[in-house]
Amino acid sequence: MTVVEALPAPQTSRIPQRLRLNVWDVPPILFLLLVAAMIIAPGAIAPYDPLQENPALPLAGPSPAHPFGTDYIGRDLLSRVVAGTAATIAGSFIAVIIGLVAGTILGLLAAYFGRATDSIISRIIDVLLSIPTLLLSITIIVALGFGTVNAAIAVGVSSIAVFARLARSEVLATRNLPFVEASEHLGAGHLTLLFRHVLPNSYSAVLSLAALQFGTAILAIASLSFLGYGAQPPDPEWGLLISEGRNYINSAPGLVYFPAVAIVLTVMSLSRLAHLIRKKVG
Amino acid sequence: MLNTTLHRIAQSIVVIVLAYTAVFFVLNVLPGDPIEQQISNPENPISEEDAQVLRDYYRLSEPAIVQFGVSVQRLFTGDLGYSLNSGQPVSELLAHALPSTFALAGVAFVLAAALGLIIALAAVFAPWPAAREVARSVPPAFLSIPVFVTGLIALQLFSFSLGWVSAVRDEGLGSTLLAAIPLALPVAAPIAQVLIQGLSNAAGQPYVEVLRAKGLSENRIVFGHLLKNGSIPTVTIVAITVGELLAGSVITETIFNRTGIGYLTETAVRNQDTPIIQAVVITVSVTFVLINLIVDVLYPLIDPRIGKVTKSEVVPA
Repeated sequence: MTVVEALPAPQTSRIPQRLRLNVWDVPPILFLLLVAAMIIAPGAIAPYDPLQENPALPLAGPSPAHPFGTDYIGRDLLSRVVAGTAATIAGSFIAVIIGLVAGTILGLLAAYFGRATDSIISRIIDVLLSIPTLLLSITIIVALGFGTVNAAIAVGVSSIAVFARLARSEVLATRNLPFVEASEHLGAGHLTLLFRHVLPNSYSAVLSLAALQFGTAILAIASLSFLGYGAQPPDPEWGLLISEGRNYINSAPGLVYFPAVAIVLTVMSLSRLAHLIRKKVG
Repeated sequence: MLNTTLHRIAQSIVVIVLAYTAVFFVLNVLPGDPIEQQISNPENPISEEDAQVLRDYYRLSEPAIVQFGVSVQRLFTGDLGYSLNSGQPVSELLAHALPSTFALAGVAFVLAAALGLIIALAAVFAPWPAAREVARSVPPAFLSIPVFVTGLIALQLFSFSLGWVSAVRDEGLGSTLLAAIPLALPVAAPIAQVLIQGLSNAAGQPYVEVLRAKGLSENRIVFGHLLKNGSIPTVTIVAITVGELLAGSVITETIFNRTGIGYLTETAVRNQDTPIIQAVVITVSVTFVLINLIVDVLYPLIDPRIGKVTKSEVVPA
């Protein structure tokens, strides 16, 4: 969504290519539009208040009145899934922005200045990469405390290394191209070189990674919420909804399956989108 | 060759030292005083005398840098500290939990490798284009499904619906296998992707034409030659795979009620038991770095072409 808006026209390719959409590309994009709508206007899509309990109708199966059924205290699951979209996606968005910005800056500095800067930043990347992302984000969560925003920060910090490594290698490839050197000899300063020449020409791969990482961040944030470290009840959040529904997986499997389908479809659509971005700018 | 190896070993040691330092300060210093907070937490079942012993043990009255020095010193004697909630030695808890997790991760590793191989073979050599296309879309699908969802589905299907494995009792290999399936799926995806790449590359090499001209059957070419050459690149992701398996155990062990390091971590996080979290993170990190080191050192021996390339690159630099 936002990734698409932030996408510049492909200035790097000489022949302006029109993006040819496959039939299989349409459902993911439509689904992402639906997700965007669920974030912007959850009230218009959700039939009920996501926190409204209904003691008369606990653990009801799917019905016309409650298409996804109700949870153990009679709250409408469809409304909770719709309302949970914003929490999950906003968290992932914060995480990707943290990883993208911090990672790009680190990679840019390392590759552009080289020598000591590069060694120091490369060691930081090595350390971040030496701890599996889930454990790293759990460590950060322990330091920061539980919560939606803290989970987003933890996932974001855990993804810095991936972005930094890619940005570094992309910048290294651009850094010594003749046109950059020419601009340097013409008297351009570091900032001009970095932001006018190097960054725009090494950014397409990083952008594609951002779209892919968005999906990964959704999974990570949902995992942390599932473990109880992210969003706290009664707030609806996709991972938390599954965690709340897991005890009823026999009597009311929909409590697990509907939020799970929301997660899986969103992540798959985003991975399709990442593929399209790579084709378009790459 | 020896120089590069020594360089790699030194680099790994630096990473481990830095990782330990970072984890120590993130867990112990950033948010004020977590150890003191947890010890004096009224919900903590620990007795007042034990609490005082723990305070003295962690040198809580002294500055963080002293605490860090003490913790490093103890590390060399194999002392990983004591749990803030039970007072048990962390090394004991870890030693108790590791075998279960290693068994789970081992089974999941074999499963992931087998699954990755089957997907890759289907994606590159299946006789029908449609089948190849389907096989190629499997890895991204595996990567899109959270482990806790596949875990719950596996639990419902095999334990509750089919009744093959108990959801509560540990039934040896059956239980391990059940828990290993969801853990293996997201790990099988990158293995399959690297294998697909490797096998496609190998299939495009000129020597394949020679083999065909020699009259070898397609099966002999694939299983006798291509598989050997095309699977070498997968060695490079072994370390990442092991790291992901160990980290993923936090979720799988929670779902399947297994008492490994994942479960240990999960309860430690809930109780803010930082010494345990620190020990688990460092154990996993050291495992990861060591496997990475071993792979890097062995890789040129497995594939001599790599050694030659790096050598010629290293000399002018």
